Amino acid sequence: MNTEKNITTQTRLTDNIYAGLEKKPVLYGIFALLIVAVLLVPQFANNYLLEIFTNTWFYIVLCLGLNIVVGYAGLLDLGYAAFFAIGAYTTGILSSQFGMNFWLTLPFSILFSALSGVIIGGPTLRLRSDYLAIVTLGFGEIIRIAARNLSITGGASGLIGIERPYLFGIYLSKIHHFYYLFFLLVILAVIVSYRLHYSRLGRAWQYIREDEDAAEAMGINRVQIKLYAFVIGAIFGGMAGSFYAIKMTAISPETFVFTQSAMILLAVVLGGMGKIPGVILGACALVLFPEIFREIGQMRMLLFGIVLLIIMIFRPQGIWPERRN
Amino acid sequence: MSLQEIILQQLINGLLIGSFYSLVALGYTMVYGIIKLLNFAHGDIYMVGAFVGFALLGVFSTAIGAGWLGIVAAMLCSMVLVGLLGVVIQRVAYRPLLKAPRLSILITAVGMSLVLYNFVMVLTNGEYKAFNTDLGFSGVSLGALYITYTQIVLVVATALLMLGLHWFINKTMYGKAMRAIAIDQDACRLMGINVNKTIALTFFVGSALAAAAGVMAGVYYGSIHFFMGFVIGLKAFTAAVIGGIGSIPGAMLGGLVLGLLEALGTQLPMVGSEWKDVFAFVILILLLVFKPTGILGKSEIERM
Amino acid sequence: MSKKLWVLLLMIGLLTFAVAGCGGSSTPAPAPAPEGEATGGGEETVSFDGQLKIGFMAPMTGSEATYGKDMENAAKLAMAEINAKGGVLGKELVMVTGDDACDPQQATAAASKLVSENVVAVVGGYCSGSTLPTVKIYADADIPFVIVAANSTRLIDENVGKAFMINGTGLHQGEKAVELFNRIGAKKLALVHQGDGYSEDLARITQDLWEAAGNEVVAMEVVNKGEQNFSSIVTSIKSKNPDVVYWTAYFADGGLLIKQLRQGGYTGDIVVGDGSNSPQLLEIAGQASEGVYVTTNPLVEYMPVAKEFIDNYKSAYSQEPGPYSALAYDGVYLVADAIERAGSVESAGLIQALADTPEYQGLSGVISFKDDNTLEQSNFVILQAKGGKWELAE
Repeated sequence: MNTEKNITTQTRLTDNIYAGLEKKPVLYGIFALLIVAVLLVPQFANNYLLEIFTNTWFYIVLCLGLNIVVGYAGLLDLGYAAFFAIGAYTTGILSSQFGMNFWLTLPFSILFSALSGVIIGGPTLRLRSDYLAIVTLGFGEIIRIAARNLSITGGASGLIGIERPYLFGIYLSKIHHFYYLFFLLVILAVIVSYRLHYSRLGRAWQYIREDEDAAEAMGINRVQIKLYAFVIGAIFGGMAGSFYAIKMTAISPETFVFTQSAMILLAVVLGGMGKIPGVILGACALVLFPEIFREIGQMRMLLFGIVLLIIMIFRPQGIWPERRN
Repeated sequence: MSLQEIILQQLINGLLIGSFYSLVALGYTMVYGIIKLLNFAHGDIYMVGAFVGFALLGVFSTAIGAGWLGIVAAMLCSMVLVGLLGVVIQRVAYRPLLKAPRLSILITAVGMSLVLYNFVMVLTNGEYKAFNTDLGFSGVSLGALYITYTQIVLVVATALLMLGLHWFINKTMYGKAMRAIAIDQDACRLMGINVNKTIALTFFVGSALAAAAGVMAGVYYGSIHFFMGFVIGLKAFTAAVIGGIGSIPGAMLGGLVLGLLEALGTQLPMVGSEWKDVFAFVILILLLVFKPTGILGKSEIERM
Repeated sequence: MSKKLWVLLLMIGLLTFAVAGCGGSSTPAPAPAPEGEATGGGEETVSFDGQLKIGFMAPMTGSEATYGKDMENAAKLAMAEINAKGGVLGKELVMVTGDDACDPQQATAAASKLVSENVVAVVGGYCSGSTLPTVKIYADADIPFVIVAANSTRLIDENVGKAFMINGTGLHQGEKAVELFNRIGAKKLALVHQGDGYSEDLARITQDLWEAAGNEVVAMEVVNKGEQNFSSIVTSIKSKNPDVVYWTAYFADGGLLIKQLRQGGYTGDIVVGDGSNSPQLLEIAGQASEGVYVTTNPLVEYMPVAKEFIDNYKSAYSQEPGPYSALAYDGVYLVADAIERAGSVESAGLIQALADTPEYQGLSGVISFKDDNTLEQSNFVILQAKGGKWELAE
């Protein structure tokens, strides 16, 4: 029993540190420092580091998107990679087969990912939450298999030669261009997430997550509110996918397998559902951990799993969770 | 082959695939029924079962030969060992989290799956292992249809395991305790049922069934590898939901239904092997939209 | 008992394993210099005038790691041999390994890592899907890339002239397969692939070639990776009565398919592609493998020139070389040869030297390039399974 007490004091200590970090002046100071640091990194880092950081930014955007579904609205989505795939393929098909400018494909990518969110969410959000998990999982597989079988998506080999765009007269081709571009996306995603969290909609999500029946009794349209979360999450995924397509210039169905969805979900829960800094931390862990331990080869995913288990057992609410009153 | 024969052959194929799905789906549904956890590591337990059976068969083949006797012995031992593994996993990873948010325990299960998968991968160096039991293709033919004895034995073995489980759940004290816990855990505790022990027992039985399926798959297909649990894990999960998750007859039925859907889907002109999984998932989604509890699931009011 | 104790027990168990596993899985040190000039001089060490970094990219982790490790070993062996003979331009060759894990995202990270290390050339590429996005990264950095195993035709489309493919392409293999189908008198063909870039590519190419020759493709089936039961596909194939079934994907599922085709009563011919050339296919398929044909890149076992390589490889790593190691070995030698001919490591000159490769005799065959930087001569051969072994079918 003594050990249990130790754990709680320990937990309380970290919570105090987080609470300290969350005071406004401290928070803004840290933000400013972080942003300056991030902007300066390309001056010192080599391509490899930039590639890893860019990858990290990319996963932060995806995780923040999924966080809206899982963290804010409490819906278990096991097929998030489907929306990421829809965005990537929309941009890929429109730019490589119809010669459309990348920036013009973005509205389509938003449209299609939102639409697919409605199609899959509309009929299924009434279901029990565990069934939602299997439906989203099935949807993820359907999208991947469709991408693999259709000829417009390039079949199993996928699409290649996706044209990269110009931004302010610069042809985006070097890794530091993408580094900044994706960082811009991260800032955008953080602002949107933050604003949503404290909006009317954000409070409705929280209400639904905590007590669905009470929320409904208070006049909240349960299905509609959940659908908003689903669609906004889908748009985040679609946008991230579009930018992924121009960064990689080649996309193939194997990127959008179930493991991808599981990993994104894992980062969100590991970091702390519903908490923006927590989710960012989770995304960083997801990308950086295997990269740092690349030297140990095959062992690293095993180690990753063990660390994940240990964190979950000692801190089931995630590394930096949301404080709930 | 005439059309009737093709359809009949596909039904037989579907039944065989389905019986594997059913065995694995039972583990999902039992665990879900009792602690409301989607045990993601279950597919990997099936895989570990196959590897334990493989190692044991290697030991037994020198002692009693790799014939049917050796296979049955390896299967039973693997069931016991992997059942115990299931209990350890439950004790180490899931029990500390029973009071935590639902998603945390789910992620723990994903983590457990990662650990098992990568553990076996490192152990086997990512290689395929071939079961050295060439059972031959002798069997009975009915017109253009052909069924090997091995296939018949597999279906009979699956049926026996399920009947045994049915008896265990419905006729024994332990089974009664499991069913009671699924309904109300706190009341059971008050009535003097050892809840923790019963949950552990559920994991033991579910894991043992998955191990049996794993060994049978190894013997039947002749090769095993560390990612063999992934696809069947997804499919069995789907099967459990089709049947109505939490319902034991539902898991059996769901497995067979999914197997038949896939086999027939392969033969349908507009579907084929390319789209058969999409076909199965679309039917799953439609089923859930129109009958949200699955085929045999009971409707219940959700408590978060 | 507290939960902490349980976790402690778990951790101790797993860490013990991790330590044991690390000890076992670490790759052996690069091969010692083979017998020859270097050992003749006794203690004499070769002195070098600086180093040349060669990048090597293959899957070191993930499900395809076995092949990646085989290839890495072979590449290291080649470098050790070259260094023992005095290196290239008096400089020592050093290898920098990038792990692509057969995953496009990890591959771009690995490629950026190699670029950051300022390698003069890159050798490698096993999975076509993960090799594709890296072609552009190396091209942007003006680094010549010798693709040793990946052979999807998409790689040709993506190439801007700085990458060289020393494995036969899907087209070469398709042609060889059609030649075989004609020889065994087949009319109706069934194709089965695995839904990945490589095997789908080969299946489509073969379909086009076969139909262009006025024959019929009666079935095009796909199986999912990791799915073990193919009985419904077998029934579907059987109901269409093909004379020959061509499996274009990898050995593990290929072995299962062969077994289940025979089990399901299919009696026609079975041909498999180069991803299935492993002896393990025969082990998995058991007695059902008898008479199965494979269209494959030349395996070292059948190349008389490779005898010394096999011996050296076995003595250095105490294991069989594996199906793609000869190509990795050739890749390193080809780069060394091109650097010697170019006289410097300056990018444009080196790329030109590679393009002008004059019939280089490697273990896997004669290497010289067409305008699209693919092999001038197809190096595919046909083998047939006899008594649990592959034998040349010519």
